[in-house]
Amino acid sequence: MTDYFEEFNITPLAQGETPNHMLHLARLLRDFGMSPYEFNDELPPPASKAFVDNLEEITSHEPESSCPICLKQFSAGEIAKKLDCKHIFHSTCILPWLEKTSTCPLCRHEFKTDNADYEAYKTHKKREKEREGEIENLHNSMFS
Amino acid sequence: MANIAAQRIKREFKEVIKSEEVAKCAIKLELIDDNYSELKGEIAGPPDTPYEGGNFVLEIKVPETYPFNPPKVKFLTKIWHPNISSVTGAICLDILKDQWAAAMTLRTVLLSLQALMAAAEPDDPQDAVVAKQYKENPEMFNSTARHWTNVYAGGPNKNPDFDQKIQRLTDMGVMSHDARVALSTYNWELERATEAIFT
Repeated sequence: MTDYFEEFNITPLAQGETPNHMLHLARLLRDFGMSPYEFNDELPPPASKAFVDNLEEITSHEPESSCPICLKQFSAGEIAKKLDCKHIFHSTCILPWLEKTSTCPLCRHEFKTDNADYEAYKTHKKREKEREGEIENLHNSMFS
Repeated sequence: MANIAAQRIKREFKEVIKSEEVAKCAIKLELIDDNYSELKGEIAGPPDTPYEGGNFVLEIKVPETYPFNPPKVKFLTKIWHPNISSVTGAICLDILKDQWAAAMTLRTVLLSLQALMAAAEPDDPQDAVVAKQYKENPEMFNSTARHWTNVYAGGPNKNPDFDQKIQRLTDMGVMSHDARVALSTYNWELERATEAIFT
């Protein structure tokens, strides 16, 4: 179980500190579905620079395997980038895509971005999901 | 056109020609011009839907930024479907907009469109009139979609009642397509359709 402050993703007021009314208003709007983040219908923002710079490079390929973006077969020794989801692409193919959006073109696995608003939105969504699960658990433990 | 787009379409084209869907005549792809930027697609209406037996032609335009951006696809064959405009053929499908991914191909697009024909999304409509009918009067929707399939896509199911109502309007000098649109919109009530056309 999480404590009250963690549950609502808030920190207690310090001695003499007054509530931040703008923050309250923002939370109120969010809870009534008027999210200040409008990422619902868009592609996620570009992948984080650090993530792109540190992508794993591989040079040996499974026989007959090809790059899902250009559909060309990998030739022996050709340098390719491997994403965290294990999918492999030519770097000339995957880099322009990651500059556009931070997902794997094959499985849609999401990677880190440099967009603080989007990361906050992602955390919020994740917390919302977890909370739903917790409520479900609580309900089941009470009514089973 | 940028090399990468043309190169990829070339490879995809080979893939589609060899695919089992082409062997089963479910999808078809043809080149329109020599630089691989414009194609013609064809999909067979899925079985057990009002589109069964029809053949639907699509216009496919490949942008220079393909496959990083989706192809532009619309129906050239007129169709009665909640997610496809009955006027322009424009399609409302997420993978042709914000849910596009670079690993998708023309083959997966055609198969997705076939799936869309079998399972409409009336809550995310392209054609509000059709979507309303789909939700409020599914039987009327089915017979209207079947009638459009018969007239525009070569489907086998004639509807003598609908044909007769259209005839009544064409006898008054209305173009048959305009008559069909008005009647389809007003659930084949001749009086209301006539009123809509002449006011």
